[in-house]
Amino acid sequence: MTDPASDAIIELAGISRTFGGGAGRVVAIDGVDLRVGRGEFVTLVGPSGCGKSTLFNIAAGLADADPGGEIRFGGQRHAGRDLLGRVSFMPQRDLLLPWRRVIDNAILALEVEGMRRADARARALAMMPEFGLAGFERHYPHQLSGGMRQRVALIRTFLFERDLMLLDEPFGALDALTRTMMQRWLLDVWQRHRRSILFITHDVDEAIFLGDRVVVMTARPGRIKLDVAVDLPRPRPAHVATSAGFLRIKSALLDAIEEESMKSFTMAGH
Amino acid sequence: MSALSRIAYPVAGLLVIAVVWEAAILLFRIPTFVLPSIPSIAGALWGDLPALLAGLRVTLYEAGTGYVLGAVAAILLALVFVLMPLVERAAMPIVVAVNSVPVVAYAPVALVALGMGSASKIAMVTLAAGFAVFVNAMNGLKAVDPAAVNLLRSFGAGPLRTIWTLRLPAALPAIASGLRVAIVRSIIIAIVAEMLGAYAGLGQIIYLATQQVDFLRVWAAIVLASAASMAIYGLVAWIERRLVWWK
Repeated sequence: MTDPASDAIIELAGISRTFGGGAGRVVAIDGVDLRVGRGEFVTLVGPSGCGKSTLFNIAAGLADADPGGEIRFGGQRHAGRDLLGRVSFMPQRDLLLPWRRVIDNAILALEVEGMRRADARARALAMMPEFGLAGFERHYPHQLSGGMRQRVALIRTFLFERDLMLLDEPFGALDALTRTMMQRWLLDVWQRHRRSILFITHDVDEAIFLGDRVVVMTARPGRIKLDVAVDLPRPRPAHVATSAGFLRIKSALLDAIEEESMKSFTMAGH
Repeated sequence: MSALSRIAYPVAGLLVIAVVWEAAILLFRIPTFVLPSIPSIAGALWGDLPALLAGLRVTLYEAGTGYVLGAVAAILLALVFVLMPLVERAAMPIVVAVNSVPVVAYAPVALVALGMGSASKIAMVTLAAGFAVFVNAMNGLKAVDPAAVNLLRSFGAGPLRTIWTLRLPAALPAIASGLRVAIVRSIIIAIVAEMLGAYAGLGQIIYLATQQVDFLRVWAAIVLASAASMAIYGLVAWIERRLVWWK
């Protein structure tokens, strides 16, 4: 693991985002400080509507933060928009283009970068076995299962070779068994390619199993409530979920999340 | 549906209509100038075939030329509007104002400005077909999933790249159905425009035959126009299914 203080790929300091004005003013996130070290796998959990996706859009350069905050990327200060094309971003839905074959969906980012189609296809083809998609290159998205579609979206994200990957609940729509398989596989791929990952999830077990650190966000306005290092050795076997260390972290996280969930529940007027 | 039943049902429907048609003439003693018998229409169609086909050629030339011009202009205009929202805001009211009047209302202007020949018909078809395609193209280009647009932006794609890689293919189903609707409209507008003043064409034949109280010829021209229109519609629909197979 890298030294957290010195070498961050991205550092957000005092990032806020407000929507609307007057009575309809909504503070989605408020003064968020968050850093991801090089090669680090950080997972982000929080109640729904805590502004996780807003935070992701800002980190991807898709949305602007309110003035006053600071985004440092690779050690340098950046305005939000500069990050477009520099961060590998995977949204919640797979967003595969139905008129493109698997291989041509995979090379979408490479094509945008201007790589020749034949070269891009050759690179994607070489990665297909690792993503469990060998033999499916010429299929269309509607011919694939949910797990396979998600892997196509992941290969598309991986081929857009950037140091930081933002994954927004990539396994949220999958059944439990497929999800477990995909988690193990993602860790495997991550350990071989050593990218930095910021990973949103609803699932506390998933957050602990995958992360070097788990960050908990508060209910609206979204703030960072808890930042826990997961000191479990890697590679982590499936039964790590029953170890004392895992359960200790899990109970701390659940307490924090429950407090926040109750808050957003009462805030919603129930 | 099997190929046999796809043909059998429409044929059965046509037969029923033919029987009712003939029975009505006999039962209610409908005069020939209101509703001629089917065999007499067929006879007129056969006897006048060279002249009718010459008229059809003119009509299809005008409809086809206007259709292509209108469709190309409509798609280009829609792309410009999507790429430049300011242009859209300035020009959209004008487009809506022009489109809020039936195209036929512009016929006198077109005839005075472009004459009685094909040019005035082509201009009107261009306008009519163009609107049908334009409305659909606009809807299609704007209905693109914003999350997919964001995905491309996150890859560093600019507006032109987004149009080419995402918006245009995503809008293709809507554009294709606009093209399908516009082809029938084109033939209708060409015929109507010819009826209002022309040197040739099926519409002109219908107009002259009406003046001469030759209703068999009117009906023969209608049958031919209808058959040609259906055939071309079928062709465009077939191309559409090939083009947007993923819907």
